[in-house]
Amino acid sequence: MEFTREKVLLKAENINLKYGENHILRDINLEIQNITRPNLNQGQVISLIGRSGIGKTQLFKILSGLNKPTTGKVLIGEDLHPVQAGEVGIIPQNYILFNHRSIFSNLKLGLDNCEKPHTEEEKKTIIHEHAKLFDLEQHLNKYPQQLSGGQRQRVSIIQQVLTGNKFLLFDEPFSGLDALMIDKVTDLLLKVSLLHEHNTLIIVSHDIESCLAISDTAWIIANQQGQQGATITEMIDLVHLGLAWRSDIRLDKQFIELVANMKYKL
Amino acid sequence: MKKIFTPLQIVDSKTVVTLVVVQLAIALGFWQILGGELLPTPTKVLSAIFATVVSPSFFDDFFASLGLTLQGMSISLFIALVVSYMSLVPVFKPLADFMVKCRYLTLTGLIFVFTLYTHDGHQLKISLLIFGIVPFFVTSFLSVIAAINTQEYELCKTLRMSNWRTLLEVVIIGKLDQVLEVLRQNFAIAWMMITMVEGLSMSEGGLGTMLIKSSKYINMANVFAVLFIIFMIGVLFDYLLGKARHWLFPYTKINVR
Repeated sequence: MEFTREKVLLKAENINLKYGENHILRDINLEIQNITRPNLNQGQVISLIGRSGIGKTQLFKILSGLNKPTTGKVLIGEDLHPVQAGEVGIIPQNYILFNHRSIFSNLKLGLDNCEKPHTEEEKKTIIHEHAKLFDLEQHLNKYPQQLSGGQRQRVSIIQQVLTGNKFLLFDEPFSGLDALMIDKVTDLLLKVSLLHEHNTLIIVSHDIESCLAISDTAWIIANQQGQQGATITEMIDLVHLGLAWRSDIRLDKQFIELVANMKYKL
Repeated sequence: MKKIFTPLQIVDSKTVVTLVVVQLAIALGFWQILGGELLPTPTKVLSAIFATVVSPSFFDDFFASLGLTLQGMSISLFIALVVSYMSLVPVFKPLADFMVKCRYLTLTGLIFVFTLYTHDGHQLKISLLIFGIVPFFVTSFLSVIAAINTQEYELCKTLRMSNWRTLLEVVIIGKLDQVLEVLRQNFAIAWMMITMVEGLSMSEGGLGTMLIKSSKYINMANVFAVLFIIFMIGVLFDYLLGKARHWLFPYTKINVR
């Protein structure tokens, strides 16, 4: 499988997070590179896997620029500038949307604040195109409370995609879903990654199998014996292992073994 | 039958109406039996209501009270909204917190001060009404603001909105339906206060004035009649404000239970 690792798109340097004496995150360093494949427009899918309550959501907020770490910095883009809130889209676990706005109006907010200005007519066309692509066209006039969890998740994703953010952070996208729904969400995430070469999906989750099945790179975030605060304990290059970009990956013996081994590392 | 005595049961609208009618009938029955010299019976009150409504001054008094309440409510609402929204700007937060605490200030001691600073009875009544209502409005609005999910603010940030635009989207536009709900809940306080402030300056008349005059002559049937009218108008406004909320903000009707 041909591929090239190119420029660094996101870099976290020496991230530490403390609340008083409580060390939450310790010395987190990571890099996300642009992976290109010949004749294919494909973004990156990265997983941050860790136990519940380990500090994944805190790291999630730091990577998105919503929270500042106690020390360290997050650099983003081809020029690697410090991340600002608004440069990374977030899709929270409970798919927050504005309940006082219709789905169309929620999606329009994404376009209203995107870098490239659009006319009202263009906005309408873009929204309808995306709604059609993600099977939401018949729901545009509804309110968020009238949609199912899966539909809300799709709206939340499109809203962030429409802002033009190439980095999208997903907080526990597989949480509480049955096997069939996990497959659907996996397809959805792959669809988003294929929208643009620079689209970078960062999935924060405790679901090892679902994360590894979709990712090209995975990081394990865990506590180390005798040290306070969670840190990255392992990086798994699934591309290098030949386990990335395969639809039948869950049946692969090597993959099954990898998932089994990972459980002991969290 | 067992359902209506079991907690957390959902009953149909027909059962609700039946429960209301039966309980009302029982209450009226007891009132009729127990009523006598001091407590006027429902039939006496009913005839007093009719006499009050057809009296020539009733509509003047009614509109005087209604006008005063609406004027006081509108000004109070405006002040309370500005103070509540601005409470999210750190420099204005102490002012909002102080206004919340003003609920514990009694009006009685301040009437003299207000009398000195106002030019006529109408101004005095409006000022007292505003002073009495605003702290309750601000308290309710601040609790609405405090209940906002912080993820809504975060969503605005990821959508590249400025802090002022976030305030507009999440707090002002996003909670506009709650303004009507707070208004509905606090209308009762304003309506209750109207009878008190009207007693301070009776030149403009009003339902409060009617109530005080009836009490003065110990005409209990009339007192109950005016009380009933005040009660029913309050209930009607409560209903209308609830309906207006659903009509103006259709998403509040969506049942997510």
